[in-house]
Amino acid sequence: MHRRAVGIDLGTTNSLITASCGSGVEALPDADGLQLLPSVVQYRKNQTPVVGAIARAAAIDDPENTILSVKRLLGKSRSEILSQDPFLPYQFDDSRDDGAPAIVTTAGVMDPVQISADILRVLCDRAEVCLAGELEGVVITVPAYFDDAQRQQTKDAASLAGLRVLRLLNEPTAAAVAYGLDTKDQGNIVVFDLGGGTFDVSLLSLQRGVFEVLATGGDTHLGGDDFDRVVSDWLMQASVHTGTLSHSKRIELLYLANQIKHQLSETESVDVSYGAWTGKLDAELFTELTRELVNRTINTCRRVLRDAKLTTDAIDNIVLVGGATRMPVIRNAVAEFFGKSPLVNIDPDKVVAIGAGIQADVLIGNKSEHNFLLLDVNPLSLGIETMGELVEKIIPRNTTIPVAKAQEFTTFKDGQTVMSLHVVQGERELVSDCRSLARFELRGIPPMVAGAAKIRVTFQVDADGLLSVTAQELSTNTKSEIQIKPSYGLNADAIEKMLESSRDHAHADMESRALREAQLEATQLIDALASARKVDSRLLSAEEASRIADVVARLQSAISDGSSNQIHSLSEELNQVSGDFAARRMDLTIGEALRGHSIDEIEHSTDE
Amino acid sequence: MQQIKQNYFQLFKLSESFELDVSTLAENYRQLQLAAHPDRFAAASETEKMRAVQHSSYLNEAYDTLKSTLRRAAYLLSLHDVDVEQVKQSDLGMDLLLEQIQLREALDELPKDSSALPALENLKAEVTVKLANMERFFADELQRREFDSAKKCFHEMQFIHKLLAEIDSSEEQRLGY
Ligand SMILES: Nc1ncnc2c1ncn2[C@@H]1O[C@H](COP(=O)(O)OP(=O)(O)O)[C@@H](O)[C@H]1O
Ligand SMILES: [Mg+2]
Repeated sequence: MHRRAVGIDLGTTNSLITASCGSGVEALPDADGLQLLPSVVQYRKNQTPVVGAIARAAAIDDPENTILSVKRLLGKSRSEILSQDPFLPYQFDDSRDDGAPAIVTTAGVMDPVQISADILRVLCDRAEVCLAGELEGVVITVPAYFDDAQRQQTKDAASLAGLRVLRLLNEPTAAAVAYGLDTKDQGNIVVFDLGGGTFDVSLLSLQRGVFEVLATGGDTHLGGDDFDRVVSDWLMQASVHTGTLSHSKRIELLYLANQIKHQLSETESVDVSYGAWTGKLDAELFTELTRELVNRTINTCRRVLRDAKLTTDAIDNIVLVGGATRMPVIRNAVAEFFGKSPLVNIDPDKVVAIGAGIQADVLIGNKSEHNFLLLDVNPLSLGIETMGELVEKIIPRNTTIPVAKAQEFTTFKDGQTVMSLHVVQGERELVSDCRSLARFELRGIPPMVAGAAKIRVTFQVDADGLLSVTAQELSTNTKSEIQIKPSYGLNADAIEKMLESSRDHAHADMESRALREAQLEATQLIDALASARKVDSRLLSAEEASRIADVVARLQSAISDGSSNQIHSLSEELNQVSGDFAARRMDLTIGEALRGHSIDEIEHSTDE
Repeated sequence: MQQIKQNYFQLFKLSESFELDVSTLAENYRQLQLAAHPDRFAAASETEKMRAVQHSSYLNEAYDTLKSTLRRAAYLLSLHDVDVEQVKQSDLGMDLLLEQIQLREALDELPKDSSALPALENLKAEVTVKLANMERFFADELQRREFDSAKKCFHEMQFIHKLLAEIDSSEEQRLGY
């Protein structure tokens, strides 16, 4: 059976959704046949929000309620955002004491996570029409350079939109998949992704279907938007405009600058009129105005090569991704730096989403096994605050994920029973120069002299790049554990509440949606178990088999006439009774190598 | 939670020695990761997914350790119960300390702008040759089971690695990263 899985590129400027339909993975169009969805949301009183090109046009007349580039707000605090972008037309809700950048709109206060979820919903509605049915799983792409908070909030937006996330995938890696599978390449690929607001570079080595990211680098504050700003600054200067602009006029000016920039990708020179003023912008002047920005992108390439310990002649292919790489200034600079022309045969707007769709198809099980594998890295070092406000790095940047690392710390006062831990992300040595991810405390340390307690702190980063931290006092086994959550913005409870209220209000059919999701997941679980039994029935004892059969029968009847809760709890029960079987199967494929035991010994040890 | 303790060399089907074939290591790592990675268990239960994360993390740690010559050396010593965390004065010869000081002075005396880049390259080349010699020596001593001497050599290599990292970061400063 073909499962409905989609890939989503949730971009700063434009978003896309893809799925495999027959021949290959394709971008899905809206009712008017448009594939690119501008990532703009306009909120209206007592009506559903408008998302896309219409909202983008509405921003000029309704700047306060129309949110552009919400991706730039994810995982950030209000004050960070205001210092990065002082001219935003939005009114932030100052009463929020968590420091979240919640925006007051005519439809109520909106968190960046909610706004992102609204974009996701529109994309998924589109996909459900195209694919004629409910989505069973999504792969969402994020900039490789996104930190933990930004990744977590992207995932939260997906759960708020009612989606099951199979994987967060780094955008450059997704692009490499789209190209790599296309050309059956072996060798080293550089992906250069310049979008509207973010810039990423990744260097991957491709060997027989394994994509291994060697290094990644970037800048979450560099993109096509900055080129718009350069052009608009030039316009203001050239037209001798003085005084400040209203929000509407500012947006209008930026749209004009954007238009000019796009035209310059086609022609050598553009005639410009701004108010009563007329003039010209040509390629030469544009090159000069943007030199600094272009140099920053090339410097990042240099740094990534250095991190991977490679030189430009070791690079077999360069892939250009993102609308802003259509600019000749970028193409020329890249070609010159690497000494060869970049690949552009897949549309730079779509390549990330196509890669995500391919990966979604594999993860959901539509493709035969052992197709390809992505080995990604964590983009920024993770560490912990130590004395003197210094950072002790625990997982350095560019470490292949998933990864687990432990480090031991000790108490510095006699009789100390509490230890506070501060988890940070970044490359700098001082805590204040890094991003604070979380603070937590390990309590109940037995009183000892300073330096006697042994506290092991373990960092685990999963395949999505998300961190969880545990701390343990070794002599007493006192344990403390946290899933890192962004310091600002919605916590899990708030998201759950929103989900519930959206079930009550917006969609009357939400409960039935939850039911169908539960049914789908349960069916998938039963199918997976059945095919596992077909292959490895010898690993199953008769007694286990009958216990499993019993739960499967009850679950099947719940699927046909039970509630979503019943289905969930029976699915959980099935997971439990089949857990040992699953473990043995894993031992068969990989555990044998990992333990140095033979499978027989393992069977004995679980038989006791 | 299950604790994995498998020997890294056995894991990648390599014989236990300092010198190893890096491409075999990489190929065997990829083969194991193809089976172990959590993406292979996207549709499986939470328990299986968690186990896959553990397995895959262990493979990454093992691969990282064997890929780096310095970490590989430390790991080999630990397999012979030599604790490299414990450093005694006698582990560090006087000659080594003097040489260290000299090299570090050479680094500090370089001009602080990009005119120092060629000199940094030279220094790097010189130090890299030293390191290669040490590695050969370490491999021999380990083979002869001369663990004290191997440990001493390990600490020398550690110094050289630190120095190389310093050269790298001085280069980066001068390149304006
Ligand atoms: N033909 C073009 N010439 C120059 N810039 C372009 C062109 N087409 C798109 N862009 C720019 O690309 C950026 C959007 O790229 P996209 O990949 O869609 O971004 P994101 O990943 O941020 O959603 C915008 O800054 C847009 O102006
Ligand atoms: Mg993009």
